[in-house]
Amino acid sequence: MSLLESLRFTRGDTPIHNMDPRVKFLLTMVFFATSVMFLEIVPLAIVFVIQVPLVVYAKVTGEWLKSIRGASFIAAIIFVTNLASFYYFRGGVLTYGILEYSMALTLRFIVLVTSFSIFFLTTSPDKLSLALEKARIPYEFNFAFITAIRFVPVLADEAQTIMDAQRSRGLELDKGSFIARVRKYIPILLPLIINSIRRSLELAEAMESRAFGATEKRTNLYELRMTGFDYGVLAMIVLSIILLVYLKLYFPGFPKLLGEGVIL
Amino acid sequence: MTIIEVRGLSYTYPHSSKPALRDVNLDIDPGEFILLTGPSGCGKTTFCRALNGLIPKFYSGEMKGTVKVAGLDTRENPIMRLAQCVGLIFQNPDNQIFALTVEKDIAFGLENLGVPKEQMLKEIDWATENTGIQALRQRATHELSGGQKQRLTIASILAMHPQIIVMDEPTAFLDPVGAERIFGVLGKLNEEYGITILLIEHRMDLASKYVDRIIVFDGGGVVSDGTPSDVFGDESIRLLGVGTPRVLELARRLKAKGLRLDKLPVSAGALYESLKPYISVTRSEPASDMSSLDSYAGEFHHKPVIQVKGVHFTYPGKVKALNGVDLTIHHGDFVAIMGENGAGKTTLVKHFNGLLRPQTGKVLVDDVDVSSTSVAELSRRVGLVFQNSDDQLFEETVEKEISFALRNFGFSEPVIGKRVEWALNLLDLGEYRDKSPFTLSGGERKRVALASVLAWDPDILVLDEPTVGQDYGQKERLRHFLKQLQTQGKTVVIVTHDVEFVAESQPRIVLMARGQVMGEGSAKEIMTCPEKLSECSVAQPEITRLFGMLSAHGLPRDVLDVNEAYDILVRHLKEVER
Repeated sequence: MSLLESLRFTRGDTPIHNMDPRVKFLLTMVFFATSVMFLEIVPLAIVFVIQVPLVVYAKVTGEWLKSIRGASFIAAIIFVTNLASFYYFRGGVLTYGILEYSMALTLRFIVLVTSFSIFFLTTSPDKLSLALEKARIPYEFNFAFITAIRFVPVLADEAQTIMDAQRSRGLELDKGSFIARVRKYIPILLPLIINSIRRSLELAEAMESRAFGATEKRTNLYELRMTGFDYGVLAMIVLSIILLVYLKLYFPGFPKLLGEGVIL
Repeated sequence: MTIIEVRGLSYTYPHSSKPALRDVNLDIDPGEFILLTGPSGCGKTTFCRALNGLIPKFYSGEMKGTVKVAGLDTRENPIMRLAQCVGLIFQNPDNQIFALTVEKDIAFGLENLGVPKEQMLKEIDWATENTGIQALRQRATHELSGGQKQRLTIASILAMHPQIIVMDEPTAFLDPVGAERIFGVLGKLNEEYGITILLIEHRMDLASKYVDRIIVFDGGGVVSDGTPSDVFGDESIRLLGVGTPRVLELARRLKAKGLRLDKLPVSAGALYESLKPYISVTRSEPASDMSSLDSYAGEFHHKPVIQVKGVHFTYPGKVKALNGVDLTIHHGDFVAIMGENGAGKTTLVKHFNGLLRPQTGKVLVDDVDVSSTSVAELSRRVGLVFQNSDDQLFEETVEKEISFALRNFGFSEPVIGKRVEWALNLLDLGEYRDKSPFTLSGGERKRVALASVLAWDPDILVLDEPTVGQDYGQKERLRHFLKQLQTQGKTVVIVTHDVEFVAESQPRIVLMARGQVMGEGSAKEIMTCPEKLSECSVAQPEITRLFGMLSAHGLPRDVLDVNEAYDILVRHLKEVER
């Protein structure tokens, strides 16, 4: 849960925040592609070294660390299972090569989490929706997306209130067997669902009252405009794609940092 | 020229046998400021829905008659066309804010209409300026306070330049000062731009100062229509259970007693001006202050049941909700906690049954620390009834709903049967026993929620905003009920914004602002301190405001309700005559 929560947009006014969401998405995709294309630790480390200053530059270090902390459990599992399975299948020999490989896989996961953190932490849903609109996705879908995000805090508050109200009526959620405990969520889920249905009706009324769907040619208060900075980043992205393809096709291979010596 | 023309309007909701509106005929002129009122379920909300075509387009069902708004027949024009003439604003602001930032939400309607960006920016400037939210333009909508959200909904509708604005109980969740600000905004829009305003409101004392026409609905039809003094001067309207503005009620009674008033005033200032010629001009010695005796009487305290000692509480990632609260509630007390939105009132009462644990400080219930007791155990002693009954109702029948808590607490079946019976009778719910709580009206659902807590007979009863959305008759019933509980030796704590309710039931008052207790005392003491009240965004009752002015003539200052005011004035007027 904390992993998801740490991906929530944090308001800010940095060049990373103000970047065109399409360019930023492309950048994220390049990070993503790199980490999938390479299994050696060196290229992954290079990507990581590029990412960290971006995080700091966007002033979301704290949030990013939180997401890494949330991901650390899964990262640990990746590391241990790889290490253990290679150890087992290679006849009970643990080499530095296996250690390096496991570390690379773990780093790959962290790089992936970081690239998504950078994107989601610094891109407002409003901008995201604009980008979707530019991608010719129907506005109804867009609207649903924004509304869903808008109502997350409202629903969270409501769930808390319902839980408080039922606990005040003697409902003890943490007592009883597993089945009994699951059943105890009925008094919480039912009001939540019924309220949501009621809410959706009210939302629909309010939408009608705001002339939703009045014209095919909807305008938008916010517009996406590529700046010089965006074009600069775009150029760098193109260059790095060329570099990546070259490396993948013609580069003989990255050196192993730890060698192939036997540990155990 | 009329802007709204309603002819023979009748309407029945689908799956309902009873018509919600019967033969409504109304003419409304441009620039009128109108209050729609009537007991719950009288059809006023349905009427509003008929004004922008939600009825019959959004709700199917059977509509007869015609509604013409700005010359457009609501049956022949799509809602989105009508929406540009009639801006409908609903009760819950949360359910009509669509965007993540304030300016984007104001733009939503304009975007839908395809307004170009430059013009949108101009409209947003204009709308935010007229609702006083310029400073909030870039803010995230979920961070706004209740009052700010309500002003945003007005701005969002205003940006579309409707000729008519219709609002359904806009101030239900607001503190008195926040409510006055909303009325101020509406008053200005009406006066400066000639926008016709129709308003549903239960805050009669406040609303009647602004409006020039009141339309009373009952049983789906219009039963009275006229100026506030005409409508409330009529005996039959008062019997409907529509609350009369207190000042007007006082004036009406004085007039009946023989005082010469040509027009019944609705505000304290106006009544003061009309009374002035009849009361002694010279300032006599103030009558001996009996209120000090009251407070002495209160000194014979019983034992404390809830003690709050230096409590601080901060929600994760948010500002401080409680900032060092000290408070003692004694056995048998009747206490009202009042104060601005976000003052920490609900946070405080959630400490009483252990839902929240103090981060620093202590809360003791019957000398037992809440931090070491479970919520279920504490709830046996402290019954907490939440503001919105829909946040707790879930069972198939009212009977099951009421027995839910009893089962949780492990009462035996025969006892449960008896307790349910008792609670059903107490709140007059017997006939709904086998009905689903969801099919009941708002007021009835609130009573079911109350019954479901009273059923286990807690010694301390805490009610969060019990009067919200209740009409005058329901409030009166609640007031008597609370008094009755108090005489049975129960400790009753209410959290409320309802100044008139407090003035009439006269509990001990605890004033809160910014997570602290700002003042504490009898209703009379607190209500006569305008400075302290305004610091906590609570307004004085109109009657007390009147007596604040009259105190210059030697009349007592600490008068809260109509009956007392009437007695004092009649006595005084007789003396002056002699």
